[in-house]
Amino acid sequence: MEKVIIVRYSEIHLKGKNRGYFERVLILNMEKSLKGLKHEIKRQSGRYIVEGFEEQETENIISRLKRVFGIHSLSIALRVETDLEEIFKAAKSVCSEYGKFKVSAHRADKNFALNSMQINAEIGGRLLSCLKNLTVDVHNPDFIVNIDVRENGTTLIFNEFFKGAGGMPVGTSGKGMLLISGGIDSPVAGHMIAKRGMQIDCIHYHSYPYTNMQARDKVIELAKVLSKYTCGTKLNIISVTHIQEEIHKKCNGEYMVTLLRRFMMRIAERIAKKIGAQCLITGESLGQVASQTVEGMASSNSVVKELPVLRPLCGFDKDEIIERSRDMGAYEISIQPFEDCCTVFLPKHPVIKPSLVNVLEEESKLDVESLLNEALSTHEVICL
Amino acid sequence: MIYLDNAATTKPDSECLKSTEKYLISEFYNPSALYKGGYGLQSELRETRKNIISLIADPENFELIFTSCGTEADNQAVFGGGKRGNVVTTEGEHSAIYSTVCELKQRGIEVRFAKLNSDGSVNIEHLLSLIDEKTSLVSVIHVSNETGIVNPIAEIAKKVKLKNKFALFHSDGVQAFGKIPFRLAKDIDMYSVSAHKIGGIKGIGALFKRKNLVIKPYIYGGGQEQGLRSGTENVFGIKNFEFAVLKKYENITNNYSNVAKLHDLMLKKLDKTLFTVLSGENCSPYILSVSAKGLRGETILHEADDNGLIIGTGSACSSNEKKRYSRVILACGYSEAIADGVLRLSFSSETTESEVLMAAGILNKIVAERKEKMA
Repeated sequence: MEKVIIVRYSEIHLKGKNRGYFERVLILNMEKSLKGLKHEIKRQSGRYIVEGFEEQETENIISRLKRVFGIHSLSIALRVETDLEEIFKAAKSVCSEYGKFKVSAHRADKNFALNSMQINAEIGGRLLSCLKNLTVDVHNPDFIVNIDVRENGTTLIFNEFFKGAGGMPVGTSGKGMLLISGGIDSPVAGHMIAKRGMQIDCIHYHSYPYTNMQARDKVIELAKVLSKYTCGTKLNIISVTHIQEEIHKKCNGEYMVTLLRRFMMRIAERIAKKIGAQCLITGESLGQVASQTVEGMASSNSVVKELPVLRPLCGFDKDEIIERSRDMGAYEISIQPFEDCCTVFLPKHPVIKPSLVNVLEEESKLDVESLLNEALSTHEVICL
Repeated sequence: MIYLDNAATTKPDSECLKSTEKYLISEFYNPSALYKGGYGLQSELRETRKNIISLIADPENFELIFTSCGTEADNQAVFGGGKRGNVVTTEGEHSAIYSTVCELKQRGIEVRFAKLNSDGSVNIEHLLSLIDEKTSLVSVIHVSNETGIVNPIAEIAKKVKLKNKFALFHSDGVQAFGKIPFRLAKDIDMYSVSAHKIGGIKGIGALFKRKNLVIKPYIYGGGQEQGLRSGTENVFGIKNFEFAVLKKYENITNNYSNVAKLHDLMLKKLDKTLFTVLSGENCSPYILSVSAKGLRGETILHEADDNGLIIGTGSACSSNEKKRYSRVILACGYSEAIADGVLRLSFSSETTESEVLMAAGILNKIVAERKEKMA
């Protein structure tokens, strides 16, 4: 009797001739997520079996695989030789002590003497006679003893399903550049797009010495959380200190955020193109703060020349975003009180609906190209 | 690197470390053990207590409870002394007292805060007006960790006892002990100190407690430290503390006057058009608090750090307004703009004149440049 983990994938089975490609990427991502743990992954008719791991690592493996996009569900199973006595012993050991149960058998190996219904009856009957605190309820059971008789002479017995992350394997839908701050929203935005199979690299802007190293560390920690779902990420870090100083000095303070965002988008697009990313991703949510109006978005979009800008949180309320942030494990980091963009420069009354004409007029007071080049010269990359 | 953040912590004295490392290597026994090695340490620690107490008080009247830090000593004093009625403290306390009395409030004890004068000292009249027959504990910081102001705790304790002789008087002396010459007055019941502010290591502090005073512990266990602080004694820390503080007290007057000269030199060299001086006349020379008007302290801290100068600050880049500005600086009546730009320069007896001159030059330069950028 051996403990194994059954991994079932989600949308991939809908894929036609490309299915093999998606499966290969998924197995690669699973391998990455289990790096450092002894294991073996085997493909077995539309599912994967993780085996050969240390038993005490079972929970760890489950929790890591739960973060791999493309997985629909997981089960911890006992694998035995296809023999009725062995199957019964395994079924008995996955049973709860009390409650209502049913047996649900699936027989892929048609050579096995009993059919599914007969297995249900035989194993159910034996369990009932030896475990006196159990009763059978096929309509509303407390737990189900699943018996999966495979073609290779083995049978899998399990009673629990863990929900996987769903979505598509990361890497099957191109590559995007996420503008990540130290806040709640942007990691969630990255998570949502990664779920649809996109590989994510991040870009973060800081304004040291107006902000501190803790703020930077916080973003690194957030990117690390995201990287658990994306099987690794690269965090690009850029200083926008001088840009902020120049805007502060030369432009109407009300346009600080609008102008700065335009610089951020320009820098993000340049680096995105350099690393082969095909879109920009932001955590903006319509109307959440003064700069996140449709006019503000139009202003920042207008400097992005070629790449699409994805804003997956546009239609979300803050509490919905917080819920997702908690689910992905980023919330507690996001709420640490370190500012990623110094409040020294923030106007009390930022312009809410910037007209492009006014924005361009303010921007004309700056030497945009040299400021961009200077910011790009501070570029550093952290591989996570 | 010039280090002017000695109020945060001091560089551990290497001579102290060398002299006391044997308590980690060969004399490692548990002082509560009955064999010779353990019993010997117990006897040594008895002498150590006497030696430390003698520096500021009479060992006949005081006992010493070793703790893990000054904060723990403050916690012991507050939770041990503030048992009923109300507790009176000041708006100028270190968070080791401030947060602890806030917790006491959660537990149903009324907490009253005395206002500060503009120089950061406690308004004694207001403090006394808050004391009544139900006051169980009064705690007043000796030397402010932010402004450096020295509160006249002997005088305050005397007046407190005249108003309510049953009220216990405690003082947080972490920034005073080993730095400014004083003796514990008879009306002071408890006094907190720490080793790492005076060349000792982190992880060891102590509470001076009047001998006849009965308070309850808040850490229970094997009954060490006269039952007030259970847990195996940190012998290395305690001996290191003893060594460090004895060394400081050997030269405390000389150190004080030398540091006062450095303090005055720094004050003279800082460009007054760039800085507002917050530390007044009655301040400890070990702390000089200034504000870079119109700038944020943390910005200057980072730039100074990049230029080889380590200083402290009173503000942080926090979105939380309440946390961003120092409540102590605001309690002195300063504006948020001043509170935002606070820099704390703190010296030690090891600080040199050339370091002060260089530090003043660096600060004048970076603040002037930053102001130009922010204009």
